[in-house]
Amino acid sequence: MLTIKNLHASVDGKEILKGIDLQVNAGEVHAIMGPNGSGKSSLASVLAGRDNYEVTEGEVWFQGKNLLELSPEDRAREGVFLAFQYPVEIPGVSNINFLKTALGEIRAYHNLPPLSSKEFLKLAKEKQQLVSFNAKLANRSLNEGFSGGEKKRNEIFQLAMLEPKLSILDETDSGLDIDALRIVSNGVNKLRTKENAFVLITHYQRLLDYIVPDIVHVLYDGRIVRSGDKDLALKLEEKGYDWLKEELSVQESPIQ
Amino acid sequence: MATNVATPLYQQLTAEFEAARNSGSEAISALRNNAFSFFREKGFPSIREEDWRFTNLVPFLDVPLEFTPAPVSEEELKKAVETNLIPELDGYRLVLVNGSINKNLSVLPEGDNLTVQPLKNISDSESFRELTRYKDGVGGNSLVALNTALFSDGYYIEVKKNAEIDKPVLLLHIYTCGQNTFVQPRHMLVANPSSKIELVERSVVLKQDSVFVANSVCEIVVKENARVSQYLIQYNQKNERWLNYTHVNQARSSRYDNYTVTLPGSDLVRNNLDVSLNGTTTESHLYGLYLVAGNQVTDNHTAVHHIHPNCQSNELYKGVIKDSGKAVFNGKVYVEKEAQQTNAYQQNNNLLLSDKAQVYAKPQLEIFADDVKCSHGCTIGQFNPESLFYLRSRGIGEEASRKLLIEAFAFDIIDKFGNEAVKNYVRELLYANL
Repeated sequence: MLTIKNLHASVDGKEILKGIDLQVNAGEVHAIMGPNGSGKSSLASVLAGRDNYEVTEGEVWFQGKNLLELSPEDRAREGVFLAFQYPVEIPGVSNINFLKTALGEIRAYHNLPPLSSKEFLKLAKEKQQLVSFNAKLANRSLNEGFSGGEKKRNEIFQLAMLEPKLSILDETDSGLDIDALRIVSNGVNKLRTKENAFVLITHYQRLLDYIVPDIVHVLYDGRIVRSGDKDLALKLEEKGYDWLKEELSVQESPIQ
Repeated sequence: MATNVATPLYQQLTAEFEAARNSGSEAISALRNNAFSFFREKGFPSIREEDWRFTNLVPFLDVPLEFTPAPVSEEELKKAVETNLIPELDGYRLVLVNGSINKNLSVLPEGDNLTVQPLKNISDSESFRELTRYKDGVGGNSLVALNTALFSDGYYIEVKKNAEIDKPVLLLHIYTCGQNTFVQPRHMLVANPSSKIELVERSVVLKQDSVFVANSVCEIVVKENARVSQYLIQYNQKNERWLNYTHVNQARSSRYDNYTVTLPGSDLVRNNLDVSLNGTTTESHLYGLYLVAGNQVTDNHTAVHHIHPNCQSNELYKGVIKDSGKAVFNGKVYVEKEAQQTNAYQQNNNLLLSDKAQVYAKPQLEIFADDVKCSHGCTIGQFNPESLFYLRSRGIGEEASRKLLIEAFAFDIIDKFGNEAVKNYVRELLYANL
């Protein structure tokens, strides 16, 4: 589904991603872990098309399309979804109108007619139940006045509504208490199918107790330095990233 | 003559004034003479004056101007009315053609709750002097002076004491312009004690490529306990230049609401809205929304005068400026020494959409009372790129995302509109012009 080859990207001339290779297939859940500043969120941003990132080298293919050539909206329409680490509050844009517009544009891209108001509201209600998101959305502005947890749950609700093929969750677990974490994780688990894929970006192993990944990657200094099964996350939790940093410096020193 | 405006225009104005001099009653003649000598001495406002620092009138007046409207057929007028109605607005309608009331095209309530007559019926009488705020015809303002000297007609609307006009009144001003034209409309509304009226006002100029300049003065008298709501929808065309003065006098316990919406089109719109709260427990709400595009200039000068205790004023103006547009906001709030327990709020927010867009914002509070709640705030900003990216990352196209964000910015003004039909209409106009 997603193939990343030797991806390099920089912000303001500073190289952040230094050659990422990653293959994500349909039905898989990948976790990307790594210490602060390793480039995890940058990778998410580059995939979603945030424009302050400049891709200097490499390729990203999504379902046979060159993702890097697409605008952020077309990436979303093709089926890429980024759950934001910090969802934006937009006063004056209603939650419902926003979602209806988004869904309408995605459907139009696939030559589908827009849903009627009735169909839309029915769908929204179903999906709200599915992800246990019971915040009142009618007559409220997008994320405005939402708590941190509500904002994150709204991201998962949007994900449920837009039904993307590839969902990238950028530290969705940060700032969540244990109950909210469970609710968000249950939502994601219910949305998993054989046809879609998830990339979870996280600092902590605890999210992976709830959403069990197929593959865990460790990102360090702009590169994926280790990949493994879910036990890798446990090992990281136990030993910390320093363990990995030390191992890496040992490996690299003969080359220097 | 202290001016930079082309001398021929002054000569023309003088000739025009001399020709009409002494044509009215003695009372109005004295007023007009006084006003014209003031104008003759002061000339048009220049950028050397504080209130005109950011809006230079010279380029807008630097064309030969005539004072006679072009002839127009009844058919054309009918069409103009039809195309300028507000859909969904269920109300009465007063149509003025070149400042004169056109009874055939108007639809007014039966009975005597609402009196509508040509202003000239009043202006020739002694009562005009009593009603007008400008006892000398000038009020220290050369454009008001020019209007007093030269106006020929306009509307005079009076709402009977205790009468509530059951439906809004659409005031449709139609001007016809063949050659470049300069007009001086003059209007007056008197809401008698405990009466209530809602006005929705818009203007249309029937013209080709010629230049149209209006120097309009409207006086509104809101008596005890009366309530007046006024919507001004300014949606005009290229080569139109509007100088509008709206002066509101409020008596005790009255309420006045003003909603001014300026959409792209006119070369220049300068609105002067001046509200005097001349009694206790008086309330005023001023809302403004301006969308400026092209090389247009939209300039809103407002002044609120708190003179008595226990009054409340609330002002919110928001603007979106794109292309090489220029906006000016100046909001004066005076709280005099006697005006204790005043609540006065003012807020002005601007969104700049291009590198060449300009805004000059100047909140100006002068407070002499010591037991008041007053606040003001002013912001000038650009799109939050993070908001834009958020919307786009959900599949909403860039254009549509921008529109959503501008709509969101304007939302809290439009949301204040009590009239649903006007609310929907303005929302659509806004959307069509983003």
